[in-house]
Amino acid sequence: MIPAKFDYVKPTSVGAAVQALASGGEDAKVIAGGQSLLPLLRLRLSYPDLLVDVGALDELRGVADTGDELLIGAGTTHYQLVHDPLVGQHCGILAEAAATVADPAVRHRGTLGGSLAHGDPAGDLPAVAVALGATMVARGPGGERRIAASDFFLDYLTTSLQPGEILTGVRVPKLGGDWGYRYEKFHRTAQAWAIVGVAALARRSNGHVAEARVGLTNMGSVPVRASAVEAAAAGAEATRDALNAAAASAADGTEPPADLHGAPDYRRHLARVLTGRALAAAAGA
Amino acid sequence: MEMEHSFTVPVPKSRAWDVLLDVERVAPCMPGATLDSVDGDEIRGRIKVKVGPINMTYAGTARFIERDKDAGVVTLEASGKETRGAGTASASVRSVLEDRGQETHVKVLTTLNVTGKPAQFGRGVMDEVGGRLLTIFASNLAALLAEQEVAAVDGQAAAAPAAAPAAAGAPIDDLKLPPRATSSLRREGITTVGQLATKTEDELLAIDGIGPASVDEIKSKLTDLGFTPGQPLPAAAVAPTPVAPTPVAPTPATDGAATPAAPAATASVPAASAAAPVAPHPSTAREYVHKAEDEAINLLRVAGMPVLKRAIPVLAGLAAALLIGLRRRAARRRSR
Repeated sequence: MIPAKFDYVKPTSVGAAVQALASGGEDAKVIAGGQSLLPLLRLRLSYPDLLVDVGALDELRGVADTGDELLIGAGTTHYQLVHDPLVGQHCGILAEAAATVADPAVRHRGTLGGSLAHGDPAGDLPAVAVALGATMVARGPGGERRIAASDFFLDYLTTSLQPGEILTGVRVPKLGGDWGYRYEKFHRTAQAWAIVGVAALARRSNGHVAEARVGLTNMGSVPVRASAVEAAAAGAEATRDALNAAAASAADGTEPPADLHGAPDYRRHLARVLTGRALAAAAGA
Repeated sequence: MEMEHSFTVPVPKSRAWDVLLDVERVAPCMPGATLDSVDGDEIRGRIKVKVGPINMTYAGTARFIERDKDAGVVTLEASGKETRGAGTASASVRSVLEDRGQETHVKVLTTLNVTGKPAQFGRGVMDEVGGRLLTIFASNLAALLAEQEVAAVDGQAAAAPAAAPAAAGAPIDDLKLPPRATSSLRREGITTVGQLATKTEDELLAIDGIGPASVDEIKSKLTDLGFTPGQPLPAAAVAPTPVAPTPVAPTPATDGAATPAAPAATASVPAASAAAPVAPHPSTAREYVHKAEDEAINLLRVAGMPVLKRAIPVLAGLAAALLIGLRRRAARRRSR
């Protein structure tokens, strides 16, 4: 279907983009790779008056080492995440998860910032950002603002970005060499959304898991941390049995959706099984 | 998809019955709903739904197909069509009132059917959104019914609106606040001056995008209009517009919707409608004029919590479903 009529601007700087967005009010929308927004436009589910295209802004792209963190530009594509040496070295789970996003065509166009700002709980990267404890960097008319990933996702397709703000980058804490990770994604066809996804990080120490972090994809209206699992896994032996036991509480407190791909109970079961696998892989068990 | 909601309100069944059949008061309980006309048993209106980047409007009609006062059963059937797409939504809403002395137990059974792109889009968006929308509707309805009791006790059911400053129902845009402040308030579901006036300074400061300077400006403008910022308005003045900025004058509790065309209710029709296109049945039809007609309700905020999950279409469906449908007058249509 052909999208409804809208105005389109392609600013040449982030500052100009923020201004353009502000002038468009609540019916203006940022577009970068367009891999989530274009389908909505073409299905006529979204009717923005103005699209502000930030896809060509080089200042939004790339990965920088800032010491304890990596600052990843919001316009960095999934493909770039998969192949970036800094990402691979310091937060490999982001590359691993990005490699599972849809298909190659989408990964070449879709961006990290777009995936996060879209706020789809079935998207892979939001749960990873939450598990990593990433910090979103947004710029609006009032200047720059930082938002913790845990405060960023408010509800289905809804983030704490204000109407005039653009997500410019993501600060991701570097993981030390003693951290292992695994993104487990369950879907029926290669390019499909995750029915359930689990991002697990584990810090190993003397055959035990010293610290664990687990983020869940598509187990609620926002990506969630499985804090009960994290608590149970901390100090556990790095064995499959011990970590499977810790994963038993993976679905606690979640409200997974029901749809053609699975009922809530089925998703809870998947969350427990996948969390066990992901933790075991992350801990080298 | 079928859903059931129930709640108990502190008013006798007969009064709850009257309110439940008064579409002018019930319609605004539906998030994003706008009532356009009531002609006999047929109600026209629309519902606007916004979830993240998705926004949809359904327009259609609703009709009472069952009104059994003795049994306490009201059934409303509604159907609507997307105004900018090809989707449709239909619903049957059956409310059952059970007399419990000074209280009334209300059970709302809804069957919803949504077709078209919206139905295909979400991975199971429908159930959740529909359920949430109805939950909001039910809680607004419960609040409306409960407020009837307060108004009646005070003996001011009909006079209450006059006690609130006249601007209570005006959109917050009328205050000419900075655009950022206005949009921040709207995101919190605050769309009318009346709603804003009930907020305390702390509540306002808690809203993203509202700082001390904005609060001072809001307080001073409200005071100029005769409000006492942070104080509740007389119940009846707030009741009819829990979510939509559609001022509707409450009718006396005894004037239920059973007589939808009663002269008393015409007080809610702004004078401007006299110049409106002639309604199909001028003798009984009533037209409504909405100040903020293009104001979408953001369900997420209306509910006071991040709410709507997988939503979209459903909302719309419900929308259409529950009360509304609508016919926009061409002259008022936004040109695009």
